[in-house]
This record gives sequence, C-alpha cells and structure tokens, in this order.
Amino acid sequence: MTNIVVLAKLVPDLVEELEIAESGTALDMEWLRLIINEFDNHATEQAIILKERSGGEVTVIAPEAEGANEMLYTIAAKGADRLIMLKGDFEDGINNHALARAFAGAAKELKPDLVLTGVQANDDLDGSVGPLVAEYLGMSYVGYISGVSVSGETVVARKEYPGGLIAEMEVTLPAVLGIQAGEEPPRYVAISKVRQMMKTATIDEQEVGDLDASGGAMVQRMYVPEAAERAEMLEGDEEEVAARLVEIFKEAGLV
Amino acid sequence: MPERVNYWGIPHNWGAPELYVYTIMFLAAFVMLFRFYRQASLWWKIGQPEARWDKLHLRLGRLIQYAIVQTKVLRQRYPGIMHVAIAWSYFVFFLGTALATIHDHFFEFLFGNTLIVYKFILDAFTIVFLVGAGMAIYRRYVQKPRRLTLEAGFTGSLTLITLIVLGGLFTESLRLAVEQPAWAWSSPAGWALAQLWIVTGASEATLTGWHLGVWVFHLLIVAITLITLPVSTLMHALTGPLNAFFSKLDTSFGALSPAKETPTGEPIYVSQLSDLSWKQLLDGDACTECGRCQEACPAFAAGTPLSPKKLILSIRDALHSNGSQLVGEAILPEALWACTTCGACIHECPVLIEHLDTIVDMRRHLVIEGDVDAELQDALTNLGRYGNSFGQSERMRARWSKGIEPKIKDAGKEPVEYLWFVGDYAAYSPTLTEITKKTAVVFQKVGLDFGILYKGENHSGNDVRRAGEEGLFEMLVEKNLKALERSEYQTIVTTDPHSYNALKNEYPANGNGKKPVLHYTELLDQLIASGELRFTKNLGYKVTYHDPCYLGRYNGIYDAPRRVIEATGCEIVEMPRCRDQAFCCGAGGGRIWMAEGEMSERPSEARIREAVELNAVTDFIVACPKDVTMYADAVKTTGNEAYIVVKDLIELVFEAM
Repeated sequence: MTNIVVLAKLVPDLVEELEIAESGTALDMEWLRLIINEFDNHATEQAIILKERSGGEVTVIAPEAEGANEMLYTIAAKGADRLIMLKGDFEDGINNHALARAFAGAAKELKPDLVLTGVQANDDLDGSVGPLVAEYLGMSYVGYISGVSVSGETVVARKEYPGGLIAEMEVTLPAVLGIQAGEEPPRYVAISKVRQMMKTATIDEQEVGDLDASGGAMVQRMYVPEAAERAEMLEGDEEEVAARLVEIFKEAGLV
Repeated sequence: MPERVNYWGIPHNWGAPELYVYTIMFLAAFVMLFRFYRQASLWWKIGQPEARWDKLHLRLGRLIQYAIVQTKVLRQRYPGIMHVAIAWSYFVFFLGTALATIHDHFFEFLFGNTLIVYKFILDAFTIVFLVGAGMAIYRRYVQKPRRLTLEAGFTGSLTLITLIVLGGLFTESLRLAVEQPAWAWSSPAGWALAQLWIVTGASEATLTGWHLGVWVFHLLIVAITLITLPVSTLMHALTGPLNAFFSKLDTSFGALSPAKETPTGEPIYVSQLSDLSWKQLLDGDACTECGRCQEACPAFAAGTPLSPKKLILSIRDALHSNGSQLVGEAILPEALWACTTCGACIHECPVLIEHLDTIVDMRRHLVIEGDVDAELQDALTNLGRYGNSFGQSERMRARWSKGIEPKIKDAGKEPVEYLWFVGDYAAYSPTLTEITKKTAVVFQKVGLDFGILYKGENHSGNDVRRAGEEGLFEMLVEKNLKALERSEYQTIVTTDPHSYNALKNEYPANGNGKKPVLHYTELLDQLIASGELRFTKNLGYKVTYHDPCYLGRYNGIYDAPRRVIEATGCEIVEMPRCRDQAFCCGAGGGRIWMAEGEMSERPSEARIREAVELNAVTDFIVACPKDVTMYADAVKTTGNEAYIVVKDLIELVFEAM
C-alpha cells in the first residue's frame, strides 16, 4: 500500500493576455485566469495510474486560489481519495520557496511514501517546487520523470534526458518525483462526475500560518519583452543582399 | 343470385370442416402468441422502464400512418410499391377472411352484388400481391442491393407468403372450374386460371380431388406461417407496428432526452443490454433489415465501422443469443464515434427505429469512462473551461466584430429586438469571420434592431450533448440561460443550424421566455416577404443548395433558404440528394472535433462530387458555418476549385443588396 501525495498548483492561463501589476514586480492578478499547471496535471494522472495498478491512497494538496476547488474536485473525480487546500496569504503570488515549505509542512503529516509533482511550471521564478519540497522533507528527488512503477520499498522511474535518452532509475522510498509526463495523457473527466464530487467530496482546509519565502529570488522588475531596435532589414535582389550579408559578417569578425 | 358456398368440395365425413379448421388455426395462433410473448417479454424483463403509454390517440395515428398506410415505406419507389403490394394484399386477405367468418357465423351478408364486389376485391389483390412478390423476387435474386440482408430466412418467408396466396388462388380456380357459375368473371384471376383446368379436360371428381389437396395444403401453410412467425423475418409484421406505436412523441425529432435514471436517480450509461430501455430493445426486434438507414448513412458511405443497421441488429442478437455486453464487444466505440448525428437513419426507417438516441446513450457511457479521443477531449475541455471549442478566451468571442460601425449592440446591456446567437464557428474560426461580418452588415443595412451577447455567449451545447457529454451540455445551457435571462429581446436569431436546434428544441422553454428562435435564413425570408429586405442586383448564378442536417431534417426548414436564394436572382439546381434526403457534410455530433479516422471517401467530398456533376452549377450554397469549412476543404481536396465555389447564403444576399 503506497501513500501517494500529489502537489498541484494553479498557474496563469496563457489564453488571456498577461498584464503587469502596478507594482511592476508581478502579474496583475485581476486579469489572470488560472489553470492547473500542466505538469501537475500529469503528476496527478501518474498518481491515479499507480493507485489503479498497485493500490494505495492518493492525497492532493493545493494552495488556495481562484479555481482551486474546481481543480481539486476534478482530481477527485479522476480517483483521488483526499483533498487538502492550503489556506494562507497566497493572494499576490508567492515564490516557490514559500510554497514548497507550505507543501512540505502539510505533506509531512501524511507520512507519504511517494510525493509527485510537476517538474516545472510557467510561473517558476525561483526553481521548481519538487526539489525544494524534497529538501524540506529530507527525501531524495528525481525530476523529468515520464513513468513510474512501484515495487515494495522502491519505485522504478523513467527519467528523460535531452537527446532522446531515457534512464530507468530505482529510487528508494520515500521520495519526491518531478513528473514531466504521465504514462498516459491526463484522462477526460465528465462534467457530471465533477459535479457529483462537488456534492460528495470534502476539501480539508488547512491554515499554513506565516509563509517563509526566504531563499527565493526577489523580483525587481517584471515587464513584457521590449522590441529591440537593432534589426536591420536587408533590401534589394539576391545578389545585393548576399553581398551585404558577407560585409556584415566581415564587420562582425565572423569571416 | 351469387351465393357463398362454405367449405365447397370438402368432404363432411371427416366431421364438420369448421371444427378442424378452427382447431388448427386456434392452436397455431396460440403457439404464435405464446412464442411471441416469450420473445417480447424479454423487452420488459431485461430492459429499463420507460414511459411510452401517453397520448394514445397520437400513437394510434402513428400506427395507422406507418404500419398500415406505410408512408415511410413508400418514400422509395421500387421497394415501397413492392412492400405495400404485399402488405396491403395481406391486410385485404385478412379482412376478407374475417368478413367471411362473420358471414358464416354471425350475420349473412355475402350474397348478390356484395359478394361480387367482395370476390372481385380479394381476387384483384391476389394479382397485386403476385406483382409485389415478383418484384421482391427480382429485388432479392437479381438486383441484390447491398443494403439488404440476403439470408435464407427471408427466402423462407417470401416462399411461405407466396404459397399461401397461390394456395388460395388455386383452390378458388379449381372450384370455379367445376362450378363455372355465371358470376365467375368477378374473380378474374381465379377464372383465368380455371380455364387451364377446364382445358385439361379433367373430370369434376378429379378437379374436386385436386381442390381438396390444395385446400389442405393451403390450410397447413397458413398454420406453419403462424407458428414460425415469431422466429422468422415475418416477426416485423408484429414488432414494426408496435415500434411505430411506441415511437417518440413528446419530443421533436431534434431533441434528445437526458440519460435515463435508476429508481434511485442514478443516471444509466448504456454499455450492456440491461442498460437499454424496453423500447430500445424493441427497436432491435422491430428492424426489418431493409438497410435504408445504412444506405442513407454518411458514416457508412465513408467506410467507417458504423452501420446503423448492424448496430440495431447487434442489440437484437445480444437479446436473443449473444450475451449482454454491447459496447466494446458487439458494438465498437469507433462505430459509435463515427456517427455524425445527421438523423438520416431515423428519417428513413420505415418502422421508426431511434438509432441516434441509442448511439448517444452509448457515447455517454464512453464519456463517463473517459474513453474519448485526444482531439475530442481537448475540445470538451476547452468547452468546459472557455465555453468554446477553440480554446480561446471568451473575451475574444466578438473580436470578429471589430471595425463594424456602428458597434453592434450588447444585448446583455441594452434591449434589442433580435438577439443574434452567433455560435462558435462563426465567431472564432478565422476563415469564417468575413462571412460573419457580412451577416452583420446585412442586418445593419436592413435596419434590424439586433445585438449579440459578446462574452456572455457560450457554445449552445448541441453537439456536446450529441458527443455524449450531458453534464457539459447542462453546464453550457445554464450559462447561456443566465446570459439570455439578463437580456431583453423579442426573438433569437442564429447563424448556426446546430445552435438553432438546441435553442429551439432542447433549451427549456422558460429559459428564453418562450421567445421564438429563427435561423438567419428564416429571418431573411421574412424580411424579403415584408419588403424590408430589397435587392438591387439580379445575380443570375446557377447554384445548388445544400440542406444542413440540423436545419432541414431536424427542423423541416427547406423552403425559406431556397426562397432567399431565388430572391437574389439565382437559379437553384437541386442535387439528387436534396431536402430531407440531403447528405451530411460529416461534421455533426461532435465529429468536427474528433480525429477523422480511416475513411474511404469523406462525406463532404462525396457531396461536392455530387454537386459538380450537376450541369453548369457554379456555386455551392450553404447555410451553416461548419458547412463552409467542410465543403471549402472538400472542393480543394477533390480538385474542383475551377468548377465550383462554396458560398454562404448570406454572401449572395450581401452581393445582391
């Protein structure tokens, strides 16, 4: 019986245009729409697959945010057993160090055998959550995983390397795994199932108290990439453009 | 005076002929009813309850229209005439026998001129029957259309019913040959055949002996036919009428019901036999295997694994022999997903089988199990999250209207007469925005007081429901109703026939305050009739018009778009499959969101080829945004760009104004 904990968070949905807040150091939350971090979605799928294959219990922990309830109920509809929502001062977006400490605090209580979370997220500014949580829990961490199987006290994880290499690694439990992709793509959950969960499932709300963001990076300025004015358009026919190109390469000392 | 002779030539030394005739017939009828009961009781023993007993007068009307007059059977000339020739003859023979029984035992009336008329009608229908049987033999053994089931059971049935009629004719002719009464001409067929016996010069005793033999044979064949009827292909003579009687009344063709529920209120998702309702099981037993559904089915024509006929028959097979699991065993998910929900199968079925409702019930099961292809999953996820299948922000829904002056009213903020429900494709698909803009400009030029819901509009849910995602459909309905309730308007007008169908037939009537729903072609037709829309140009194109499934077959709107096209000065040349026989483009029922899968020929391509074969038609006119997308592609993939152009009807209107 494996006790699996999934850490999931909501991140900005890129279908909406991103706006910078007046402070100039963060996104304007008012215009943001949040969506489950895609990699966390895969981590969830992997956890449910493990449960279906080898039994165990799946607990999902997520920080409070707009849409977190719905996200948790959706995961419950897929087959998660327990839902925990961390309540605290997450309003203006906190760094991953603080979030990882909050995650670790809640996860510790559950004495997990295996912690799964997305290997990265589009709002990771100070490293990804997985290794930080592993550090705070004193567990080992392997990231970029795309498939896990449990055998007794260990798991075998498939780790993806750049260049198309894959390694199968035996990891002693308990451990934290950063999931790149679940074995199967995240399944579809019918809306009626989610709505059923909204009626029957309960979300365990836990206060996290003061958040400790130390160790994380401080954002000094956040801005939309500015159009540079260094581009020079080469005009003319092929010969002229080619000649000009060679000239430029020479100027730059490339040829 | 002509008189009816009972049991002519039957020796009475066997006892009264009535006695053994009635004994044999009652026994045969009893066996038939018992066997029928055994088959039929499976419907309610295995099937789920479903209320189909309301409005009996309407049901009786259906019985008369579809089982006796057989209007659906008659939709196709050859098989229609063939079938009614056989069926109506048997109705007449049945009635004739019943009248004879009344005459024999209760009230004598078959004499004199009445008898002559009686004889003549029965005899005439013998000829009618023989024509029908001949056509059936030709069809089954020479034409051999692919859609028919060419099995021995059908040959057996045809043989039995033909032998019965021939038996009757021969007995009659032999009697006439012996009696040669003055009124023999009133049985022309019998009298003609009698000439043959007279020519043989056989003695009266010989002919009477032959008569007895044929008579006994006739009697026995009738008994055998009755006894075997519930296990033969003639069973449809009982189940067909029952199916017509119990067919869906309370909802229009265009409306689906939510999933049926268990007594405790749990929804039933159909994957096995016992999840189906008794009526859905009856559908299986009512199928006559005529294959009209299959012939009309765009998914079948495209070479997908779906045959609506096979699907319904696998319910019958499962009910009577092959175990109870349907989805995944007898019925493949790929077959269920191949359905475009065009409704042609239902529309063509002579016994009113409801294929589509069963397919959607089974799709609901697949959706609940999460068994959906990746593209459909993306679309459904997007629809759940953003209210559109394009995965774009709802704030972008009205971006197409940018640049239109004056700005289109927000129906959520100020009262309008017409609330224009634009629909996903017209709003989001980049290739369609020009057409959507033209629609807006036409509305403005006419001086229509109209508005749109901007980001308040969500996908209508029509095809979400038909893809089997009922929960998402309900959610979309709730969202749209909220937006509609906030708005003040008199009439809804839609671009998309699919939204039109959902809003008109499936949204609760109180949601939009029972306001009328119009398709834009209906609105334009009204505006032309009232003189508000006038044209300055006479386009003079030779065009063909494709009836969208959800406008035509689903809602019976055939003439309004045609009148509008003609008002622009175009001449319509109809495709062979037009109006209620229009061939689907292949996009409906969520197909447009799914991976195409393997196909021998896309339905849209088959349709374009059909149009190109028309003489000198330059424009293929559609009235559905999805059609523009589907057919513009098909024109390219079939290499017909030089011959035909796909245009939305509004483009003609725009051009002619």
